[in-house]
Amino acid sequence: MSKPLVLQQVVKQFGEKTAVDQISFQVEEGEIYGLLGANGAGKTTTMRMVLGLIYPDGGEITYNGKPYGKELQRELGYLPEERGLYPKVKVSDQIIYLAKLRGMPAAEADKNLRYWLDRFEVPEYYDKKIEELSKGNQQKMGFIAAVVHKPKIVIMDEAFSGLDPVNVELLKATVKELRDQGTSILFSTHRMEHVEELCRNITILDRSKTVLQGNIREIKKRYPREEVLLHTTGEVTGLESISGVDSVERKERGYLVRISEVAAAKLILRKAMEDSEVEHFEIKEPTLNQIFIKEVGESNE
Amino acid sequence: MNRMGAVIRFTFMNKVKTKSFLITTLVLLLLVTVGLNIPYFIDKFSGNDDSGTKIGIVLENQPEIAASLKSYQDKAKAASYTFVEYDKGDAQGLKQEIDKGNIDGYLWFDNSEGGVFPAVSYVSNDESLSNGIYTFLQAALQSVKAEYITKGALSDEQIAALTAPVNIESQQVKNSVDGGSANDPKSDNEPTKAINYGVVYILIILFFMTSMMTGNMIAAEVTAEKSSRIMEILITSVSPLVQMFGKILGMFLVGLFQILLFIAVIGINVSLPHNQGVLAEFDLNLSQINLEVLILGLIFYVLGYFLYATLFAAVGSLVSRTEELGQAVMPITMISLVAFYIGIFSMGAPNSLLLKVCSYIPFVSPVSMIIRVGLGDTPVWEIIISLLILVAGIFVFGWLSAKIYRTGVLLYGKRPTFKELRKAMKAYKI
Repeated sequence: MSKPLVLQQVVKQFGEKTAVDQISFQVEEGEIYGLLGANGAGKTTTMRMVLGLIYPDGGEITYNGKPYGKELQRELGYLPEERGLYPKVKVSDQIIYLAKLRGMPAAEADKNLRYWLDRFEVPEYYDKKIEELSKGNQQKMGFIAAVVHKPKIVIMDEAFSGLDPVNVELLKATVKELRDQGTSILFSTHRMEHVEELCRNITILDRSKTVLQGNIREIKKRYPREEVLLHTTGEVTGLESISGVDSVERKERGYLVRISEVAAAKLILRKAMEDSEVEHFEIKEPTLNQIFIKEVGESNE
Repeated sequence: MNRMGAVIRFTFMNKVKTKSFLITTLVLLLLVTVGLNIPYFIDKFSGNDDSGTKIGIVLENQPEIAASLKSYQDKAKAASYTFVEYDKGDAQGLKQEIDKGNIDGYLWFDNSEGGVFPAVSYVSNDESLSNGIYTFLQAALQSVKAEYITKGALSDEQIAALTAPVNIESQQVKNSVDGGSANDPKSDNEPTKAINYGVVYILIILFFMTSMMTGNMIAAEVTAEKSSRIMEILITSVSPLVQMFGKILGMFLVGLFQILLFIAVIGINVSLPHNQGVLAEFDLNLSQINLEVLILGLIFYVLGYFLYATLFAAVGSLVSRTEELGQAVMPITMISLVAFYIGIFSMGAPNSLLLKVCSYIPFVSPVSMIIRVGLGDTPVWEIIISLLILVAGIFVFGWLSAKIYRTGVLLYGKRPTFKELRKAMKAYKI
């Protein structure tokens, strides 16, 4: 059984400039795959190639083992970075229209639309025009437009940007729901915390090249644990003198200690327990954010 | 095909539902209604004025002329003009008569010398002579003058024949002898020609108006879709070709719907009782329309529309913002203006070389061919060649436009130059 979406050594050039350089990854069924990168790293170009909007100059993209074809149009869903919907057209009209273009009968599209509107608790938007909705709600409609025809592969470019925390949670839940139904989702974002929560595998792009790829947990293991978070009731002195400690930062409720070797953590805890009462002790694993900044930041210098 | 249908329906429904469309259509329909009824109202309001213009004649200098003028008027039975005779030419007294309303004005004859017809002046309160009075007086005096100079040497019939204007009729040479009307070319020529002229005129104006209006609407829609970024979703759902032609067809139906509305409104207005006489007055009968001309004209009209529409769609796809659209469609507007004016100025000379050449050039051929088919004498093979060239033109420009469209919709930012467009086409492998 071939994977829903496989990219192999995909290359795209715009004139002299290489927009995407030898990118390979694969998305399993029921997986959310994270595509990370700074602005202009090649995320959108990659997604456009997956969508068949533009053709790669080299390498190949296969969908369930087959190359891109017309019949794929009904299997793909797309939520573009800049939400595209007709401002002056009723929500129901345009979403059913878009579903019909993807080959779904109007009645079924209507049923799905109502389901999603109920899911987002906004059934009254059925008869509203897009321009009457707030930006966040427009985004929800864009999301519905991307998934209303029950696609097998959904591509989301910056799905959560510009949403308030409540709506981010709502949308996250629905994305997870789609994943659990077996949809393959290719997901791009700048926001690392979303990736950590949703994705199993990621690719970090920088200036059209892959700089980091793989399972999030394994990636994190590759990076040393460098920080200890310590909350105590009283003051702890002399942490700097422990061997392996690089720096100590005083925080509101305790200390953030940067260490160069993990063995130092034990010494820190012992010292803290001697001096005061420990409320919280954590050897922090590096966040994706830090890894990202480290990888992309370094290559930018 | 199903998806094409969806695009057509969506385009049509959304355009028809917009407020701006409803309002412009309503305003235009209202204008048409008012325009059609204006002759009736003018008639109604100015009718009283015309009945019975009283013209004074001063007998003093030329009693002879005055008498024959009077007898002319009796014979002509022009009820709206009556002559009132005055013996004395007293400028003051006559002015009072005018002021009192007994007469509207008076004719003054100078003394004549040696059988020469005297100079005539018409004196009234108005600054200039109204058209109706002028025509009437000129005809009357012409006849009187003939009588005056010949002094009875000619009979009344001869004088009438002398004063009647010369008629020049234009007739078309008939190529075929076998047609039923060939023996008597005059039998149906005159009214048919008039109505053909009307049909051609209407078709050309319709062609210009609809291709401009709907063309601009198509371009605006494409640009709007592009700037609202819905294009990216659309283009991943349906092929750009389906999308473009769906839009063009949808807009065509919008235009057609509008035209049908106009025809319906015109029909209702013309068939109103007080307007019944209008058509009859112009001696036009709709049943005289040459079906061949109408059908061929419509074919050229529709094909021409598609040719322009594809270009408008392509231009619309190149522009990212609606503000830039007007400038971008300029070249197309120019071409269609050229076609329009070639058409309008050539209507009098439907067999000119200019039109013959133009009928083989795709962008001007629809208008040229409509004229040549309707008014000129065009062999069938020329029509077929022109049609084939036009269809080929639609395919070539449709193909080119589809390519431009496909590339253009993904290019944002400033309007691309041709070089950039070609580079982008290469880059996108389109």
